[in-house]
Amino acid sequence: MFETRSRTGRLVLTAVLAVMVIPFIVPLFTMVQGSLQGSGWGNYATVIGLEGFWLYFRNSIIIAAATIAIVYLLTLAAAFGFSKLRIRAKELYFWLMMGALTMPEVVLLTPLVLLGASAGLIGTFWAVVIPLVALQLPFTILLTRSYVDGIPDALFEAARIDGAGTWRQFRHVLMPLARPMGVAIVVLVLINSWNAYLLPLVLLGQDQGHMVVTQLPNSFKTQYTDDQTKILAGAVLAALPTVIAYIALQRHFERGMAAGAIK
Amino acid sequence: MATQTTSAPSSPQDRRARTRFGSGPLRWRQSRTPGGLGWILPAFALSAGLIYFCIGYLGYVSVLPWNWRPPRPQAVQGLDSYVRAFNDDLFWTSLRHTLVFFVVTFVVQCVLGIVFAALLHSKVYGGTIFKVLIFLPVVIAPAIMAPVHRRVFAVDGPINWILQHLGLIQVDATGNRDWTAGVSWVLNHVGLSEVTPNWIQPSTALWVIIGVQIWSSIGVAFILFFAAMGQIDPEMMEAARLDGAGNVRVLVSVVVPNMKAVIISLAILNAITALKLFDYPYLVTAGGPAHSSEFLGTFIYAQLFGVSSHYGYAAALSILLLVLALVVSLVMSVTARERGPRRVKRVRV
Repeated sequence: MFETRSRTGRLVLTAVLAVMVIPFIVPLFTMVQGSLQGSGWGNYATVIGLEGFWLYFRNSIIIAAATIAIVYLLTLAAAFGFSKLRIRAKELYFWLMMGALTMPEVVLLTPLVLLGASAGLIGTFWAVVIPLVALQLPFTILLTRSYVDGIPDALFEAARIDGAGTWRQFRHVLMPLARPMGVAIVVLVLINSWNAYLLPLVLLGQDQGHMVVTQLPNSFKTQYTDDQTKILAGAVLAALPTVIAYIALQRHFERGMAAGAIK
Repeated sequence: MATQTTSAPSSPQDRRARTRFGSGPLRWRQSRTPGGLGWILPAFALSAGLIYFCIGYLGYVSVLPWNWRPPRPQAVQGLDSYVRAFNDDLFWTSLRHTLVFFVVTFVVQCVLGIVFAALLHSKVYGGTIFKVLIFLPVVIAPAIMAPVHRRVFAVDGPINWILQHLGLIQVDATGNRDWTAGVSWVLNHVGLSEVTPNWIQPSTALWVIIGVQIWSSIGVAFILFFAAMGQIDPEMMEAARLDGAGNVRVLVSVVVPNMKAVIISLAILNAITALKLFDYPYLVTAGGPAHSSEFLGTFIYAQLFGVSSHYGYAAALSILLLVLALVVSLVMSVTARERGPRRVKRVRV
C-alpha cells in the first residue's frame, strides 16, 4: 500500500508499525511477566496442583464440544432446508430467526434464571449449552445459507435423478461441499463458547467443580485473597488453549472471526 | 447464485419465480423438490423457540411487581417498571456510557484498523508476527484478560511505569504517583484536573473500559480492512500514483472510499457490542467506581443478583435493551442498504 523504494523506507515503515503495536503487547507481556514473579514457575505448579484445576478445562471442553456439534449439525440441516428444499412460508421462518440475530445474552438472563430454577436445569451443562446454541444459530444459519445458495441446484438434481433421497443429498452432496464453511462455523462457535463468561457464571452455579476456564482467574482471586502472581498464572493457563489453537490454525481463525463480523 | 447453471432455457415465468423466491427452487420445479420443514424445524424450535419464548416471558415478568425473590406475585402491576426505568438516572447514565463507548471504539477501530492494514500491505519486515500480535487479543476471553487489565492500569502497573519513564509522572518519597508539573499544568488548562494516574477512578474508569475493548477488538477490524484492501484493483492505485498522488493521498482518496462496506459492518458490529457489553465492565471495574463505568449489561445484572432481586425491573430493562438493539440494527442495515455501495457488498475474507 505504502510504496517504498529503498531499504531505509522499509525499515522506517517497520519501525512505525512496531511502535504502534507496543500498546497491544503490554497486556500480554504483563500477563506473562507477572505470572513469573515471586516463586517463578512455582506459581504455575501451585495453580495446576490445586484441587479441581482440571475440572475447569473439562467443563469448558464439554460445553464447547457439545455446542459445536449441535450448532454444526443444526446449521447445515437448516441451511440445506432453507436453500434447497420446498418449505411453505420459508422466508417467514427465516426472518423470524434473523430477528434473533442481535440478541444480547443479558436479555435471556432473567427468563433463564427464573425458568431454569423452576425446571431444575440450573447447574447442568444443558443449562449453558442450549442458550449458547440458540444464540449462535441465527448467525451461523445466515452465513451458511448464503454459502449453500452458491452451490448449484443442478448438483442436487443430478443426485436426485440418480435416485438419491433427501438424506443422501444432504450427506453426500451438501456436507462435503459445505466443509470450508464448516471450518468457519467451528472456529466461530469454539471461540464464542470457550470464551463465554456470563451464561456459565449464572447458569452453571458457583460451586467448586462447576466452573469453566473463563472463571478460573477470578475464582483464584477469592481463594488467594489477591495473590496477583497466581491469578496471572491462572490467566495464562486459561488463555493458552485458544492461543495455541489460533497460532496453529491462523488463517482459519482470521477467516472465521472476520466472517463473524460481517452480518 | 444458485440457479445459474440450469441447462433449461429460462422462460419469463420462472425468472419471475426466481426473483420472488430469491435463490430458492424455481416454481415449475417445486412439485419435484422435496419438502423440507423437518430440516429447519430443529434449529428453528431451539433458537427462535427459546428466544421468543424468553422474550414473551420477559414481557410478562416486566409488568409484575416482582422485586423480591420467588414466588412470583399473582397480581399484575402494569408499566410501573418502565416508568421507573425512564426516571432512573442510572439507566440514562448507562445509555450515555454505551453511546460514548460505541462512538470512540468505532472511530478508533476504523482509523487504527485502516492504518494497520495499509502498513501490513506495504513491504514491512516480519509481517506475520505483527499480524499475529494484533489479532491475538481477539481470541483470548475478556474474562480471562480482565485481571491482567486491572494489573495493567494499576497505580504501580506498566502504564504508569511507561509514563514515569517518559518523564510524565513523578514518584514522591512516600511512593505516591502524580503528574509532573508540566502535565498537571496542561491537564488543568484543558479542564481535566481530576484525572490522576490512578486509572480506575470515576473520571477515567469508562476510558479504561474503552481502551481495553479497543485492545481486544482491533484485530477483527484489522483483518476486515486487510481483506478489503487486498481486493482493490491495483490499476486504480497505479493510476492515482501516475497522476502524482503520494502515499497518504492514495490512502485517503483511493483506499478509504473502497472501505465503505467494512466501515458499515464495523458500525453495526460495534453498536451491538456496546449494547451487549458485560464481561469487561463487570470484571475490570465492576461498573464503578460510583457507577462511572456502568453499562446496561452490568446494570441489569446488578438488578438480578444485587442485594435484592428486582426481577420485574430487570425484565423491563431487558425489554428496553432488546428494543434498542433491534432499532439500532434495523436503522443501520437500512442506512447501509441505501448508502452502501451495491457493488462491493460482501467482502470475501
